[in-house]
Amino acid sequence: MAITVVSRLAYRALQRRLLQSALFLFSIVAGVALVVGVDVAAESARRAFALSTASLQGNATHEIVGGPSGVPTSLYRRLRTNLGIRTAAPVVQSTVREGASGLALTLMGIDPFAETQMRQFLADAAVSGATGVSGQALLRLLAEPNTVLVSESVAARLGVEPGDTFELFTTQNRETFTLAGTIRPWNDLSRQALAALVIADIATAQEFLDTPHVLTRIDLILTDAQTLLEVREALPPGVALRPAESNRQTLAQLSDSFTLNLQALSLLALVVGMFLIYNIMSFSVVQRRVQIGMLRAIGATRRQILASILLEALVFGVVGTFLGVAAGYFLGGFLVGAVTRTITDLYYRVEVQVLTLSTFTVAKGVATGLIASLGAALLPAIGATRVTAASALRSVDAEQTTRTHVDLAAAAGLVVLAAGFGLTQLQTRSLFFGLGALFLILMGCILFTPAALLLAMRSVQPVSGLLFGTLGRIAPRAIVRSLSRTGVAVAALALAVSVIVGVSVMIASFRGTVTEWLDGALTADVFISAPASGLLETINIDPSLTTLLQEVPGVTHVATARDVPVLAPDYPQLPPVNLVAISTNPQQVSPSRRFVWLAVEQDEVWEAMQAGAIIVTESFAYRRRITAEDYALTLLTDQGPRTFPIVGVFYHYGTDQGIVLMADSVYRDLYADPWVSSFVLFVTPETSSESVVENVRRLVADQGLVVQGTRALRTEVFAIFDRAFNITAALRSLVAIVAFIGILSALMALQLDQKRTLGTMRALGLTAGQLWRLTFLVTGLMGLAAGLFALPIGLLLAKLLIDVINVRAFGWTFAYIVPAGSLLQAVLIAMVAALLAGIYPAWRVSRLAPAEAIRNE
Amino acid sequence: MSRRYVNYKVLLFGLVVIGVSILLIGVLWVSTRPSQPIGADTAILPSAFNTDGFARAIDPWLWEFPRDHGPHPAFQSEWWYYTGNLTTASGRRFGFQFTIFRRALLPERRNSKSEWYSNQIYMAHFTVSDIAAGTFYQEERFSRGAADLAGAEISPRFRVWLDDWSVQASDDSAATMSIHAKADGYAIELVLTQVKGPALQGVGGLSQKGPEIGNASYYYSLTRLATEGTVIIGGEEFSVDGTSWMDREFGTSALSEGAVGWDWFALQLSDGRDLMVGQIRSEDDSTEPAFGGLLVSADGQTRYLPADVITITPRGTWQSKHSGATYPAGWEIAVTIDSTPLRLLLEPLLADQEVRGSVTYWEGAVRVSGDATGYGYAELTGYAQPIRGMF
Repeated sequence: MAITVVSRLAYRALQRRLLQSALFLFSIVAGVALVVGVDVAAESARRAFALSTASLQGNATHEIVGGPSGVPTSLYRRLRTNLGIRTAAPVVQSTVREGASGLALTLMGIDPFAETQMRQFLADAAVSGATGVSGQALLRLLAEPNTVLVSESVAARLGVEPGDTFELFTTQNRETFTLAGTIRPWNDLSRQALAALVIADIATAQEFLDTPHVLTRIDLILTDAQTLLEVREALPPGVALRPAESNRQTLAQLSDSFTLNLQALSLLALVVGMFLIYNIMSFSVVQRRVQIGMLRAIGATRRQILASILLEALVFGVVGTFLGVAAGYFLGGFLVGAVTRTITDLYYRVEVQVLTLSTFTVAKGVATGLIASLGAALLPAIGATRVTAASALRSVDAEQTTRTHVDLAAAAGLVVLAAGFGLTQLQTRSLFFGLGALFLILMGCILFTPAALLLAMRSVQPVSGLLFGTLGRIAPRAIVRSLSRTGVAVAALALAVSVIVGVSVMIASFRGTVTEWLDGALTADVFISAPASGLLETINIDPSLTTLLQEVPGVTHVATARDVPVLAPDYPQLPPVNLVAISTNPQQVSPSRRFVWLAVEQDEVWEAMQAGAIIVTESFAYRRRITAEDYALTLLTDQGPRTFPIVGVFYHYGTDQGIVLMADSVYRDLYADPWVSSFVLFVTPETSSESVVENVRRLVADQGLVVQGTRALRTEVFAIFDRAFNITAALRSLVAIVAFIGILSALMALQLDQKRTLGTMRALGLTAGQLWRLTFLVTGLMGLAAGLFALPIGLLLAKLLIDVINVRAFGWTFAYIVPAGSLLQAVLIAMVAALLAGIYPAWRVSRLAPAEAIRNE
Repeated sequence: MSRRYVNYKVLLFGLVVIGVSILLIGVLWVSTRPSQPIGADTAILPSAFNTDGFARAIDPWLWEFPRDHGPHPAFQSEWWYYTGNLTTASGRRFGFQFTIFRRALLPERRNSKSEWYSNQIYMAHFTVSDIAAGTFYQEERFSRGAADLAGAEISPRFRVWLDDWSVQASDDSAATMSIHAKADGYAIELVLTQVKGPALQGVGGLSQKGPEIGNASYYYSLTRLATEGTVIIGGEEFSVDGTSWMDREFGTSALSEGAVGWDWFALQLSDGRDLMVGQIRSEDDSTEPAFGGLLVSADGQTRYLPADVITITPRGTWQSKHSGATYPAGWEIAVTIDSTPLRLLLEPLLADQEVRGSVTYWEGAVRVSGDATGYGYAELTGYAQPIRGMF
């Protein structure tokens, strides 16, 4: 019974303090929503990719894939006629674009007769032909040139109906296609599979893609080991058999580092939110001090008090978590666009049809929400149990214990810091441990804050006294006296600002490094390639274009690059290697290329490459543990596996998956691949690259190629870069908002705490104006302290982000660039936040009648 | 009590709501179910293409062998049809059907860079009737006539194949051919040698299927092929010998308006004679008078049998529990040759020899008794669905 009375009182308290309740709810909702939202966005993108890959693979258990030369049709014939394998289906697949909209679509060429057991989305979907007969649509697909099937939704997007025509183009071809029929998705899986799919007969696809003798892959359903062995033995050199599932996983993991970093940042926002809750709960305990004392006097036990406070937190926690998960789902809807955009820019093309709210995400959101609310309320709740009937009337006692807490916190901070640094020293490449260490170090620093604040206020007192007189002496003392409030408020603000500093410095360092790298890398004048479509797409351009380009006035030299995914048998769990075969000395294309290490002289690199050596990027080397001592790479060529010596590792920030540079002549000897992927042009000094760009654009008008000058390419690179950091920047702002609310509530608690003191001062002759000044002095000092504390913490955070997290996540090292402006900005943000947050409490205090403030209830 | 009553009402209401919901969901589910899934089988069925541009069987064909064993792509449909009755040394009986169908989607090939392009589709049916075990094995396959996955050729030698199923000549004149077919759980490896030369059906190989000009096919048979080899059922191999029959037809849309199917019998009599009789049935239960039969004597002489000398009388029926179709089972066939009657009684060796692929029909081994004895094959189409337009 007693507990219900206590709960009822808690409920009343809740009712009365609407603003606090709202703040509590806000912090939980915001924190949980961020965690859930980022998760939903990342998970939806991942699931969409996995689903579309999986559904495109259908029931296949295995696939046979080749290098750039693809898989020969003769192998398929052999599987069917010699080995008698019926569950094999040939696939020709490539990205194409729609003529009017430029919309990227996957063209999938299939043999309908081989599909019956393979692809569920084909078996389940109904085809509406021009006359409504599915067989008829399929017959047209087989019999008539340039006929395709798309899903009803793709047809709607393109604004076509069965029988209508539309254009598709690649870098080599542009043709008009007739829609033979539309496919109605049958469930979510088929909807995802068909989201951006154009289905054609395999012959149509080969004609259009100009790959008449090559299959992209052969999908297989192989269930017994004997057949598997037979297939493996039948494989010609240059192709590989692999489980379909493992392929899906290695591909999906391409974007893992990116999403894990986002998730870590969202968790950081929740931690800041926890500080907020801590403040609010402390505030509410302070407000109810007398009430709690009275409850204790009439017989409530400490456990009941503890339970009632925790129950209050739990109720808020549950409500906030529930709202947070719901809000997170919607937030995910907003974030998913930005997330998929970057994933498509950097990794693979993905289109999210349905938002995924997995039970894991919900569980994670619920767990973080409840743990955060209970965890943050625990200390104030324990504090509340210390309130006795007698002590309720005094306030000092709380502060004395705080002093011991300050020492304890500093000691704990030391331990946590040591643990964090210890974790960074572990011989592991685990990103998870890296982020764990980051959190520990951040927490360790924050635990030091109250002690640092104590020290800082004592030393600042003479200075502020000199500057502001009596009020200047009172303000630091006021902060010290209420260390239990001010310490936490400053810590929360310092944490938030340090996150802002750390992330800003990290982004600035990265951007600076990329700028410098681009300056070195982009020495050619004109760049020709296809629209970017991620790592997994191969762009085929007719090499005969080289001759035409050479004839463009002002062009001195044309270099080509062939960019293809190639299998590396030694790294089956990693995605295929991005092999770039270049026709020109890389030192000529970018003379200031910087190497991590080189086994030959800088000017001998090209010679070594022409003799069969390769050079790789830093992140490539990191992911495959290639060191100056262990430097060879085996790649699957048309003639079977070949091992290449690595003579150098160079810095490159184009892709975190890394690339391998090979001499074009070496590449063409090993692969029967006629195509090139991009061109770079060098022009004479007296020619303007703009005029060359114009001329080349006219030349390749039909091929859907992108022709850019150095400046335009630079702009594009940075646009992609900035998009990748958009979410990071957005999360940074959210952290700032949470921190502002945190400091606001802390200051309110502080002013309430000092109500009697301030009342006494008013009674002693302090004017309302002086009271305002005092409040602003206090909050300003706190903001300044938080800002100053945040600088070293933020710089340390940046250092960790750059040296540990980015290396582990992306395999990149970059220069540590500290923009002085952003540091100053951070201190200002802290001070402005603190000052702004001081307005409302100051206004409330200034309206207090002295007599009422002093009165003891 | 009254409280309880209310609860019952609530319960009842709940049940009704649940029931209606299930019903609604069911209706929605059924109504959103795709009517015709994409798959190879649906591709060959409805003839979306008219017969324009294809050659028709109108004039007498100038036959030349082995050339005419090979494909005739100017015509829309063509088939190589092998049936036979085989026995082991201990007398265990097997029947088999091995057929490869060719069907053109369009009369002309277009120029294509892709080796996958073809205007031809191939379909194959392979069945084995294990008489002693009472089991009927069957499998259907499809392929495009491209990329060497399926096709028919006469040079260097006669060969027709689909995946790893094939018939090929062992010599230039195709006097001997071998069949290789391995399906799920059964297989045949047979060598077939011509005992008699090609027998032209109809009038000089032009077999009229309806009164209209062009509703005909070019048709010949190898009515007696001495056969030996192995039949494999499960893991077990059986050495067999016996007699096979090959039927070859090519044409373009042979059946007339109103024709629903045919009954066809290929009988090999122990006195050395072979007999083909058949009838094309119409919607109105009449039979097509233009379609007749053929008698091949022991020395290979052929004699056309007009429809009016043939009477086919069913002696029983069999209903398929798979398709629900009811087929005649057992016949009395009466043929009058030079006013001499020949009365034969036919009895299926196995009741269930129904082939269920993209087309459902009955094709099975039969025993002949009566005025002569022997074995043969019967083919009954159009009982499960009308067959016009398919071949």
